[in-house]
Amino acid sequence: MSITATKMLVRDWRGGELGVLVMALVLAVGVVSGISAFTTRLQSALVQESHRFLAADMVVNSGRELPQSWIQQAQDDGLQTAQTLIFPSMVYVGEENMSLASIKAVSDAYPLRGQLNYSSEPFAAVQPVHRGPERGQVWLDSRLFALLDVAVGDRITIGEAEFEVAAAARNEPDQSSSFYSYGPRVLMNYDDIPATGVVQPGSRVEYRQLYAGSPAALATFVDWLTPQLGDGQQIVTLDEGQPGIGSALDRAESFLLLAGSLAVVLAGVAVALAARRFSERHHDYVAIIKSLGATSGTVNWLYGSSLLLLGAVATVLGCLLGWGMQALFFYLFADQMPVQPGPSGLRPYAIGAVTSLTCLLCFAWPPLRRLAYASPLRVLRRDLPLENRRAINDYALGLLAVTLLMWWYSQDWKLTLAVLAGLVLTVGLGFCLALTLLRGGRLVGMSAGSIWRLALAGLQRRGTANALQVVIFSMAIMMLLMLLLVRTSLIDEWQAQLPVDTPNHFMINVGPEDVPAIEEVLGAHHIVSEPFFPMIRGRIMSVNGEELASTDDVQEERRQREINFTWSDELPADNRLVSGQWWQPGTDEALVSLEEQFAERVGAKVGDTVGFLVGSQPLQARVASIRALQWQSMRPNFFLIFPPRLLESYPATYMTSFHLPAADKRFLNQFVRQFPTVTVIEMDIVIEQIRTIVNQVSAAINLVLIVILAAGGLVLVAGVQASVDARIHESAILRALGARRNLILGGLLIEFATMGLFAGLLASVAAEFSVYILQTRVMDMHYTPTPWIWPLGILLGALVIGGLGVFSCRRVVSTAPVMVLREL
Amino acid sequence: MAGTELQILKGITLEIKSGESVAIIGASGSGKSTLLGLLAGLDEATSGSVEINGIDLGALDEDGRARFRGQHIGFVFQSFQLLPALTAQENVMLPLELQHQDNAAQQAQHYLRRVGLGERMTHYPLQLSGGEQQRVALARAFASKPAILFADEPTGNLDTITGDTIIDLLFELNREEGTTLVLVTHDQTLAQRCQRRLRLDAGALVME
Repeated sequence: MSITATKMLVRDWRGGELGVLVMALVLAVGVVSGISAFTTRLQSALVQESHRFLAADMVVNSGRELPQSWIQQAQDDGLQTAQTLIFPSMVYVGEENMSLASIKAVSDAYPLRGQLNYSSEPFAAVQPVHRGPERGQVWLDSRLFALLDVAVGDRITIGEAEFEVAAAARNEPDQSSSFYSYGPRVLMNYDDIPATGVVQPGSRVEYRQLYAGSPAALATFVDWLTPQLGDGQQIVTLDEGQPGIGSALDRAESFLLLAGSLAVVLAGVAVALAARRFSERHHDYVAIIKSLGATSGTVNWLYGSSLLLLGAVATVLGCLLGWGMQALFFYLFADQMPVQPGPSGLRPYAIGAVTSLTCLLCFAWPPLRRLAYASPLRVLRRDLPLENRRAINDYALGLLAVTLLMWWYSQDWKLTLAVLAGLVLTVGLGFCLALTLLRGGRLVGMSAGSIWRLALAGLQRRGTANALQVVIFSMAIMMLLMLLLVRTSLIDEWQAQLPVDTPNHFMINVGPEDVPAIEEVLGAHHIVSEPFFPMIRGRIMSVNGEELASTDDVQEERRQREINFTWSDELPADNRLVSGQWWQPGTDEALVSLEEQFAERVGAKVGDTVGFLVGSQPLQARVASIRALQWQSMRPNFFLIFPPRLLESYPATYMTSFHLPAADKRFLNQFVRQFPTVTVIEMDIVIEQIRTIVNQVSAAINLVLIVILAAGGLVLVAGVQASVDARIHESAILRALGARRNLILGGLLIEFATMGLFAGLLASVAAEFSVYILQTRVMDMHYTPTPWIWPLGILLGALVIGGLGVFSCRRVVSTAPVMVLREL
Repeated sequence: MAGTELQILKGITLEIKSGESVAIIGASGSGKSTLLGLLAGLDEATSGSVEINGIDLGALDEDGRARFRGQHIGFVFQSFQLLPALTAQENVMLPLELQHQDNAAQQAQHYLRRVGLGERMTHYPLQLSGGEQQRVALARAFASKPAILFADEPTGNLDTITGDTIIDLLFELNREEGTTLVLVTHDQTLAQRCQRRLRLDAGALVME
């Protein structure tokens, strides 16, 4: 019988519905496995990217020299290793020029992750490199060139050793930890440390050992290392609260999961529709083979094995498609990727296979299974209807399968429920509305011309079937609109966060007396800066009188921390109050406003009393409000804001951020010479990296959107095909009776376009509703109504469905009616 | 139809002997097809029983009747009822394969040659004329060596000349294979070729 099954499949390909079935499965598997592989690989790239901030996968630091035996052990475990040492020291040029600098000595293998950026001249174009200075050479922070009045090729002295200035040190992967270090950076070779003679026992230094390698090897090494850690030796993990691209990527991931879930639903619907039509068309076959002696078992076996065969082929093709999509993406963007994406493993393809199997079992099998109950009497009487009693169970099973698949796939109930709510709304509202509207159509259309009468009569006659079709069309259109909306708002929001003039330099350590002069210089050069914020360094000590754990206790979230305070009478522009209230300007009360995540970390709520230490003076303040920040904004952001009068008496420095175009970088040479005590921090390189990642993720989102559009299109095709047989049959009769080509096509166009119009209207309502839930409840974004989708949805529905309908039925006017009637 | 019960056949008692050929004639809507469906085990009677070779078809479920049909019954239909996805030979092989017969291909070829389609075995139904399609149906019906052959208006979709050829072939094969033949038709001439004729009139059986 397997020959029969295969032959049946091959010959049925012509019928069209098998093509839709396979395409739907292939797309479902392709999208699900592709997105899954894509996110897995992108995540591995991002983990590496985040390890860039450590310049390694793992770091151990200490104020004293670390045992070299650890390095040996790590290498035996198959890890790469590097060492760095940071210490403050005076740097001299001759007798007269000197400056305090933060020296960083790095071994040849440094950095293990990420790259160093240097330039041949201060503030000139940066070049990436994978190792630091040679022995006998140093790289200087750009502003040191001005402070020491040196150029590349000159010689400087550190301790007892002399070095040649080889380049400008521009950016280190693990720079963020030295944000507030002792001064401008000097990079030198690790092996030159003894020659300087400045590092003595008791010096304020930080030794680091860096390790990188496979997760397994790292785990082995950490297990070995942990018991050996002594006082002051600690494993450094990634900085908490690392500002940057985190939330953007979280949302992108939500979007991709949403897209994948929608792909599953759309593909499920397409599979169900195609299988239903397939089953209707095979009703006669089954009646014949049953009359010839086939039992229901034989029929089940025949169609079951056909389905498995189809499923296997579709799964393989789908996995290939999924693999191809993500491979194409990473290939196209390879040179823009900051790091190599890791392998995706087999899991994404396993997910694809499970999706395929579920679609087959829950969407395709129920209508096919009913074939086994087809009455053989149909060979004598073709008008016998199909057994349809179990259809309601099929819908329930389908809905359950969709829900579970979406949840399993997204691991997110909120997301699943948001989509489900939209679906239920579409189906429920849609069915009532469609029935009412289609019924109303008779009154309106009866007096119209013959094309209209024909079309409206057609709509009327198949009222229930048409309502179901409208619901399916609107489901597909709704999901497409929904995805389009979310995608557009996501990308808009990202672009709004990093506009072209995003501040890309920070300026800190500005003395109050320098502020007016600096403002003047910036103004003279037409450089736009943010306002100057006062900044005081302090330490959080207690919450409601309860002492927090000590700073060294890094395992403890609730610990004392050094942080920057500012004061302000107004809520900064891009801050948003989450709870509590902002104070009255000029208040004398001891109040403080905390950043949301910081408050969570130290366990403080509005109304709690928090203790601080500023310099050596204790300070108590009541939490007046909690704020949410936009870390991506690159504007000065503060964890803690106090009312001005509370901090006025403490000594403060000022900070700001400003935008400096790449072409104007040399302005900084002159600026640091003029204001030697001010520290300028260059963020332009980091911002470019963020922009690149955002662009890549946007491209990925667009790619996925296109694929989902294809899946939605497929549902529309399947939906149109579902009713094509009956319509072709009627049209063939009309044509046989002498109806002209235009009358038939016009009638069909009006009929389908009317359904598309209703579907588009419904879809717009439901999409708006789902997007509202998604944006406010799932993606943590602001909801704004989108009036433009309404005309788009309605027009899209009418045009696409009208066009597809006429296209699918075109055979009826191009073939002799008798041929059409005979084939059906 | 809700609320109304339609009685299609009334009080029919009928016995057909092995090897006999019987024609059931009657106007459209007289219940011919319903009776055929019941006799051939395609349908279940609401009351009464059908017994073939001592087996009560009413006692079997649909799968049981399907097996019974496969082993004992052959069909020729007005609309041929060939599977369009299968070639002529595959169509003839189908009932044999359903009974897991080993030499299905040889048997199918034998019967196709017998009905004069030796050159057309790999053609699909749509590539064959109506008469040729009905020959394939005849080959399929006889290939499984049924005890009873049910023919439902076998010439209904054919022109007179082709129809006559098909009928000649049907009776020829019937004689050769010694099959019991039950033929439903409204064609008197065709009915005359059977040994016995029964007329259905508004669901009641009248002997001719």
